Amino acid sequence: MRMSLILFALFALFTKVSADVPNSASAAEDAYSKGEYANALAIFDSLDRTYSSASLLFNIGNCHMKLGDIPHAVLYYERAIRIQPGADDIQSNLDYARSKVVDRVSELPALTLGSLWDRLRGGKDLDQWARRSLWACLFTFLMAAGFVIVRKHLLRRTLLVAAVIGFTTMVLSIGLAAYRLSEVTDRSQAIIMQPKVDVRGEPRDGSTTVFVLHEGTKVSVLQEQNGWFEVKLSSGSVGWAAPGSLEVI
Amino acid sequence: MSSSVTRTYVLQATQPGDFTIGAATARVGQGTIQTAPIKIKVVKSENAAPNSGLLDQGQKRDANLFCTISLSKSKAYVGEQIIATYTLYSRYSSIESSEYDMPKLDGFWAEEIDLGEPGFNSTATVNGIGYRVAILKKQVLFPQRSGTLRLSPMTLNFRVNRSFFNNGTAVRITSNSAEVIAMELPAKPADHIGAVGELKMDVEVANTSVKANEAIDLTVKFSGRANLKLIDAPKLNFPTDFESYDPKITDRITVNGGGMNGSREFQYLVIPRHEGDYNVPSITFSYFDPSTGKFKQLSSAPLDFHIAQGDGSAALVTRPSKTDVKQLDRDIRFIRTGDLALEPKNHHLFASWPYVAGLAAPALAFVAFFGWFRRRQKLLGDLQGLRRRGADRVAKQRLKEAEAALKANDRIAFYTAIGRSLEGFFADKFNLGVAEVHAAMIAEKLGHIEGGSLAQQYTALIAECEMARFAPFENKARQQIYDEAALLIRRIVDQP
Repeated sequence: MRMSLILFALFALFTKVSADVPNSASAAEDAYSKGEYANALAIFDSLDRTYSSASLLFNIGNCHMKLGDIPHAVLYYERAIRIQPGADDIQSNLDYARSKVVDRVSELPALTLGSLWDRLRGGKDLDQWARRSLWACLFTFLMAAGFVIVRKHLLRRTLLVAAVIGFTTMVLSIGLAAYRLSEVTDRSQAIIMQPKVDVRGEPRDGSTTVFVLHEGTKVSVLQEQNGWFEVKLSSGSVGWAAPGSLEVI
Repeated sequence: MSSSVTRTYVLQATQPGDFTIGAATARVGQGTIQTAPIKIKVVKSENAAPNSGLLDQGQKRDANLFCTISLSKSKAYVGEQIIATYTLYSRYSSIESSEYDMPKLDGFWAEEIDLGEPGFNSTATVNGIGYRVAILKKQVLFPQRSGTLRLSPMTLNFRVNRSFFNNGTAVRITSNSAEVIAMELPAKPADHIGAVGELKMDVEVANTSVKANEAIDLTVKFSGRANLKLIDAPKLNFPTDFESYDPKITDRITVNGGGMNGSREFQYLVIPRHEGDYNVPSITFSYFDPSTGKFKQLSSAPLDFHIAQGDGSAALVTRPSKTDVKQLDRDIRFIRTGDLALEPKNHHLFASWPYVAGLAAPALAFVAFFGWFRRRQKLLGDLQGLRRRGADRVAKQRLKEAEAALKANDRIAFYTAIGRSLEGFFADKFNLGVAEVHAAMIAEKLGHIEGGSLAQQYTALIAECEMARFAPFENKARQQIYDEAALLIRRIVDQP
């Protein structure tokens, strides 16, 4: 009995277990289909407080987009694409939302190897590489055990190769899982939420306005001081944005 | 054989309104035939006669001969019809015109009204003086821009009282000038086609169910009293699978005292390229009605087309070339539905305790398994296997020299090496000196194995090698000797 419980716990660890989709999710979908975007948004938002999901963030972004709230739409699409890089629909809507943003800040070419890399490291959820590393670990040691038992020369050699491949996969998966976690928990980027934000030279009201940003623009956050954010544009300009003027992705 | 009889009646309307001329019937042979009743709409003639003010002014300029320009309206919307009348008043009995200078019509579109043969057709009395009156010219004017538009005075040169004896007198008269205040139209709706006046629209489609690639004739007819000649072709929004061509324009327009009347017809040729049911929303157009000062919208009933699959022949002739799918507009992609893959917030598998446990468990299990496996092997005494592997190694090591000689094809070295290996192995095995290796000792040490046959073979092989070193011939192949030696060593090592 205890053995089966442990086995079940292990199995749960190795496969993706989705939380039950609450009924409210389908109610929100209905509302959205009927064009009642505000109602749909309220339900999706309440789900967002307890759950995390790229699809959920994407849907919230869509609601904001339909309600004409571009900065929030950009914010949520950015959050969604971070969880699921390379997702066509999210990327497409994000591009559309960005096209409505006033500021044209030249986006630095991201350090990616293209969409293939996005798809490889992305996937449906965050934990896929962690799960893959567990599978690879299990595989590696099963092959190693086989190597110990088996006497036949050719089979032994095959098992050894398989074990080495499994081990390499495990190390790579652990690396990718760690990378993805750091990517998702990164809090260094933000979206400007107010229609017009004076970015100042010092973190206080009344200091020189260095440049002006408009809603929906993506900035890097260098540090926070008394609620003020030191922001940096991809063009290299640095300044301080007032509290509440931006939201971290 | 056919023949026809025609009766012509000339009617003159005395008042405006709608009238119906009843059907005419005729008895022909045995039966009676009947015509359709005719409906006639009589519109009010625009009152363009000059008012008394203009006449007074004219009379003051020259009491014997003067001319006026009078307009039916002094204030009009852009595009609204105005009738301009050029009238000549004369007391002379004989008058000849020589040169005249008509006003420049800046900012107007003008249409002449056909008056027939001009002449002094009527009389008038101005301030007690009788005049013969001739209408020189009548025009329908359409202001083309807003603002105050001016008609400059016209100048006429006459020669009066000319007779056989008298050369007559040259008289030059100038008319009054006229002004129109043209008002801009209010904000135009998108479907305004430029029409100002009173309009009616008829949309006619010859056939709404055709085969693909067959032509559909669609006629939009505007009729009424308006600036018909200035109406633009309305834009029809056909589905993208319909190919439409520029319309053919047919005018049935008359310009008379009532202004510009009639109809303008736009005939569209539309070719559906694919089968299916298409719904074309009602066609709407706006025109400006100056009497109310507002735009009025005309709309047709929605059109439903049923397009059947075209037959090959028509398609062969007019098959459209491949076209790109047209992106009409952009919208965001629809939300994701169904499984949203919800996960508890801020929960990551990576670096959590279960994850570490999941990684460690197989490793620990492997270590445990490995230990258990080794112990079990020892317990089961699988020493045979271990020893065999050891014996192979020993034989191979001992015969290394012989193997080299075998490969080098050196007879003497080979047999020397085999003999030395066998003696050396035996000495090492039983802790003896090389000198002590002889038949008796071998028999003593190995006699108990396999009934003494191993000892015999061992001794025999050593002797054979000894002999072969010096004999001019060999009994067996060297490889066979080598294999025998290896087998003997293995068998000795294998002994428990």
